[in-house]
Amino acid sequence: MPDAAGDALVPLRIAVAGKGGSGKSVLSGTMARLIARRGGRVLALDSDLLPGLSMSLGSGPDPAEAPLWGATQKKPDGRGYMWGEGMHAALAAQRFALDAPDGVRLLLRGKQRPEGFGAVIGASQTFWEVVHGLVDAPEFRDWTLIGDLPAGQYQVADDWAPYARIYLVVVQPTMQSALTGRRILRVARMRAPEARHLVIANRVRDEDDVRHVEKLVGEPAFASLPVDEDVAAAATIFAETVKRLRDAGGAFV
Amino acid sequence: MKIAVAGKGGVGKTTVSGTVARALARSGHTVLALDGDLNPMLGVSLGVGGEQTELIVAARQAVAAGEEEHAPTIEEIVKRFGADAPDGVRMVIASRVEFMDPGCMCCGVNPVNLVRQLEHGERTVVCDLEAGIGTIERIETGVVDVLLVVANPTGKSLEVARRAIEIADGITEIVVVANRVAGDSDLELMREVLGDRELFVIPEDAVIAAADREGLAPIDLDPDSPGVAALVRLAERVAGAPVAA
Repeated sequence: MPDAAGDALVPLRIAVAGKGGSGKSVLSGTMARLIARRGGRVLALDSDLLPGLSMSLGSGPDPAEAPLWGATQKKPDGRGYMWGEGMHAALAAQRFALDAPDGVRLLLRGKQRPEGFGAVIGASQTFWEVVHGLVDAPEFRDWTLIGDLPAGQYQVADDWAPYARIYLVVVQPTMQSALTGRRILRVARMRAPEARHLVIANRVRDEDDVRHVEKLVGEPAFASLPVDEDVAAAATIFAETVKRLRDAGGAFV
Repeated sequence: MKIAVAGKGGVGKTTVSGTVARALARSGHTVLALDGDLNPMLGVSLGVGGEQTELIVAARQAVAAGEEEHAPTIEEIVKRFGADAPDGVRMVIASRVEFMDPGCMCCGVNPVNLVRQLEHGERTVVCDLEAGIGTIERIETGVVDVLLVVANPTGKSLEVARRAIEIADGITEIVVVANRVAGDSDLELMREVLGDRELFVIPEDAVIAAADREGLAPIDLDPDSPGVAALVRLAERVAGAPVAA
């Protein structure tokens, strides 16, 4: 998106969606870094319970405990969670986003833990409140928000990216990837009819692959990204990183 | 027997599920293929085709729109939200619908609950689980006989596989499926992350890639290509595993 990233002064509100493995995190992470390098202020929003975005941002392993627990407290009756003392969406995002390279800030919903969803549920609810609160937060008016959504159409259906004015739907030249793209586009148009819904053809080898994506999805590709050996190499480097962490006793849990 | 398939999105879970289901059906099993993925694609790898898969999914989603009646029992779900796939496989969409009625068992059904309650009887059940590890946490002893954990030689998928194994270890038999292995260095990397476990290797295969591209069942394209043949051997290996009482 050279036109968008080129003008860092225009804050963008982007949600990136697609099938698992389609390249969502690589696209979100790389866009976030590029916009930040050009002087834009960027908050990357990671609502996936599985690891991914921090690897693509190059910000190192996710913390074992979700930082947003710090903005969360139990309700007085013990049933469910609420804002911590004096907390609100913008403050939680300012205080609990992590530093990533190039000045990108990264806010995590929290990652799945062996002990189950209970270990992230409060932080997860707070993340939901934060993304909804950020839509109109004056503190973030000049910020670009980039959300990396988990695989599939459900977070779009369930309203996890209410800030999104642009949906980037990442599609590889395969039938499954294209069907997923179609499902996401359908749900996103129901959820946010006034937003832009754009198809990004990813890992294409040639013009034929782009046409194949367009044929299977049934609409034109806004942009296309070629197969990239460096990105493939990065995936292998991530694997090495995971191995080293495991050997070191596992901050990854 | 009941077989469940797990892994990160995009690792080839659905290709493994669909091809194993078809191979078992070809060797005489009565196969029920459950699509438990929130983003149901099993129809594609079973050979039903992309457009037909969308129609089956739409019938399932119509419950939410009130255009289709809710199904009160497990067997009713199997009967109503299914379709026939090649080689006599019965395929059923078993994941929740997009906009669900929270009180309804059928539209918010959890695939693991479904697998738990299904009487396998003479059937062989193959369940393609949702991407990630959310559903695995609900698998207790006896719910499935074998869990296939699919991984690629990439960091993210190995991390998901490692967590899946950690959760399911000791609860059910696990077979780790090393998918899209291009060479020894890939395999070495996977061994380093996953430890001493036996890896069932599915080599990278142009036939499977071509099937993915066009939305065809790999087993229909070429059952003898190296990747498909390995998946057929995987089906044999799994069917030979002891069936829990």
